[in-house]
Amino acid sequence: MTTMMDRPASAPGHSAPKKALIERLNIFTAFGLGIIGAIVFWYIAKAILPANTAGSYIKSNRDQWVLLAMIGWLIGFMTGIGAFIGPFRWLLGKDLSHEENLFYAGKDLGVKRYFRYTTDHKVVGIQYLVTTMVVFFVGGVLAMLIRTNLGHAGGGWLQPQTYNAIVGMHGIIMIVATIIMVTGPFGNFIMPIMIGARDMAFPRLNALSLWLIIAAIPCILSSIFLGGIPTGWVAYNPLASQGPPGQDGYIMFICIFALSTMVAGANITTTVIKMRAKGMTWNRTPIFIYGVVASVALALPAFPFFFLSQVLSAMDRATGSTFYDVRGGGSGWLYENLFWIMGHPEVYVILIPAVAALMEMAPVFTRRPLFSFNMAIMGIAGISGLSVLVWAHHMYTTGWAPLLNGPFMLTTELISIPTGLLFLVLIGTLWRGRLWMTMPTASIYALLWNFMIGGVTGIYLSDVPIDGALHGSMFVTAHFHYTLMGAGLTGAVASLVYWFPKMTGRMFDKTLSWIGFWFVQIGFNIAFIGMFLVGLAGQPRRVGSYAALFDQGNMITTGGAYLIMAGMLVFLYGVISSWTHGAKAPMNPWFAKTLEWTVPNPVPLENFDVLPVVTSDAYGYGKAQS
Amino acid sequence: MSVETHGHVNPHHEHPDVVGSRNRLGLILLLVADIAFALGVIFVYFYLKGQNVNDMWLPKASDTQDATVPVSSMGAWYVTFIAAIGLLFHQYALAGVKLKNQTQLVLGSGLAFLASLVALIYQGILMNNASFTITMGAYASCYYLIAGLNVVHLFLTSFISLGNWNRSRLGLYVSDHWHVRIVSVWWTWMTISSLLGAFALSFT
Repeated sequence: MTTMMDRPASAPGHSAPKKALIERLNIFTAFGLGIIGAIVFWYIAKAILPANTAGSYIKSNRDQWVLLAMIGWLIGFMTGIGAFIGPFRWLLGKDLSHEENLFYAGKDLGVKRYFRYTTDHKVVGIQYLVTTMVVFFVGGVLAMLIRTNLGHAGGGWLQPQTYNAIVGMHGIIMIVATIIMVTGPFGNFIMPIMIGARDMAFPRLNALSLWLIIAAIPCILSSIFLGGIPTGWVAYNPLASQGPPGQDGYIMFICIFALSTMVAGANITTTVIKMRAKGMTWNRTPIFIYGVVASVALALPAFPFFFLSQVLSAMDRATGSTFYDVRGGGSGWLYENLFWIMGHPEVYVILIPAVAALMEMAPVFTRRPLFSFNMAIMGIAGISGLSVLVWAHHMYTTGWAPLLNGPFMLTTELISIPTGLLFLVLIGTLWRGRLWMTMPTASIYALLWNFMIGGVTGIYLSDVPIDGALHGSMFVTAHFHYTLMGAGLTGAVASLVYWFPKMTGRMFDKTLSWIGFWFVQIGFNIAFIGMFLVGLAGQPRRVGSYAALFDQGNMITTGGAYLIMAGMLVFLYGVISSWTHGAKAPMNPWFAKTLEWTVPNPVPLENFDVLPVVTSDAYGYGKAQS
Repeated sequence: MSVETHGHVNPHHEHPDVVGSRNRLGLILLLVADIAFALGVIFVYFYLKGQNVNDMWLPKASDTQDATVPVSSMGAWYVTFIAAIGLLFHQYALAGVKLKNQTQLVLGSGLAFLASLVALIYQGILMNNASFTITMGAYASCYYLIAGLNVVHLFLTSFISLGNWNRSRLGLYVSDHWHVRIVSVWWTWMTISSLLGAFALSFT
């Protein structure tokens, strides 16, 4: 096959040479073919599927059409972006040539490479960053709609069904955004350089994981026009099975996202195990790498259960099976178990890389070695191990296996021990350090404060009697926002400021980073302490109106939410302005010792001219000759 | 982190064993996810069977519907048997490539492909001939779920086996054969997965 690299340039008077297929495909062909696929599948489904649904309780033709249209969208989109070229070339025995692989890596493509199925991990990292920001923006707008609606007692301006749909959309969109916010951008851009590799182990799978997420986003957004997700982000069955076709968007979104997560998990883990630089023993491997690997390795066995829960949901809706319908021998508890077997490890999939990123920054900004590297690893391992044994604490009040409540309470409370180890590592590193007070440094303190509140309230909720009183209240909502946003998002934004110079070649505007930080942190604590108060007073979550006694707390929360929004907009402006007009970054602006700071800006295509050989750990601050 | 930069690795010419080892680990990690999914399916089967909610695991005959009569699990075991034959053919091909016997490689991988195709078609026939529809109780739903998982696995196996046979035919495994070894890992898991399904369906 003629490749784009070895084709002769067209001579004057001759027509231009025919473009190879991989040169023609990009995000526009992906969306084009995706839309065509959706329309074709929709019409085929309408034409051939029988309208008769006799013998089924919840099966519906519209769910069949919507689900098949979304499958058509996925196939068309992935075909249009070029995801199937590699497998079919393998099948045909025509492996990609070196030149074609370079084209896939985006060599000499300039800005166009960001709109293609590019395999270079740095491009994928930037694509993840932008995707994450877009998803956060959508989720943030929905959050502000919720808080505005809850601004005063008696219900706001949203219809109850609309309010419920927005709450569900906000929940699942933010969960997915927080899952990818560290491992996506920084796990892809920074991690391979940090371990001294030229790329990920499987560059095409890397691109696949990114483009699967991009293909999934329209599915969830389409829910807005299909009746929304009025079930909350958990989409419990059999309630969800009675929901509008918007639930089908949720199902497809989760299924595609779970595939993406599995692919990314295998890729990142293989990269770290097999491609670390010579001399980078496990004791010399930076703690951020442990965090990323723990996160994706935890997702590998956990997310298939989420995937399965949604496959069964889709089958119930589209084929009339009865997995969750008690009238046909199904069980709602089955869904809850499958969901939470993923759902609780997922909390740590979000948290661990964010905390690990801050542990990576702590030595840099205190100029001290990381306090007890081994304890940090034990903490991460302990959390990962225990997190798969705690899922039923979400189900105390459902009546499922009451005899197991005690053991699940114990395992849940045990998880505070390895979590405490991570606190000790951070405090020990900060203790008597010569602080370089940057926004990431302040984020470490913010994480300690927020995560402490989130963690302690989590211990309350793990307790069976107290959970009986607080379950389903705003207290729970405030608790998980303190962990996922107060700790997770704080770590992710600090990571952005910290690695921004390496990713963009420019410094993040210092003033804007501080303004954004204070707005967000003050607003966050106002918003969610207010939410704790109304939750303790008994305000239920996922209800669009409330009694007058909760008025004050809700006003405080809504005010705090607007402060968060202001801070996030400052950050967004900071990203755009710094990326376009920021000061040029030196190669190592933080004088850090990990490998990503040894490569120039912009980072060359293959990262290192010569692969490094590591001779010491990354935390030799304050030591002689370090 | 102290580094020395005099190490040298040519990025474009990694040893096939290095690439093969990396790819094998990647596949095994992907299999972790697939194994979790398959175990989840088996869990669903035994959970709903154990619960027998409203006595609807195997519904009795009513005015509107016949009783659900479980299918013999022998069909599922036959599928597993054919898959196991395919695995043996693949191992025969793998032995051929190790012995640098091109004929054995092509023959073994071709027969493995045919076995996967036969198993896939047979699984489809079994689903089509079941005496119940998916709506007829929890057992029926679970039966189609397990059979569906088999179909997906066998479809992927057919694709991979076809590619493997084609690449063998083209002589692409002369210099290195890590692809064949990795396909062997997949074949093994696919057979075990099919066996797990047949095992579950033996308990009605």
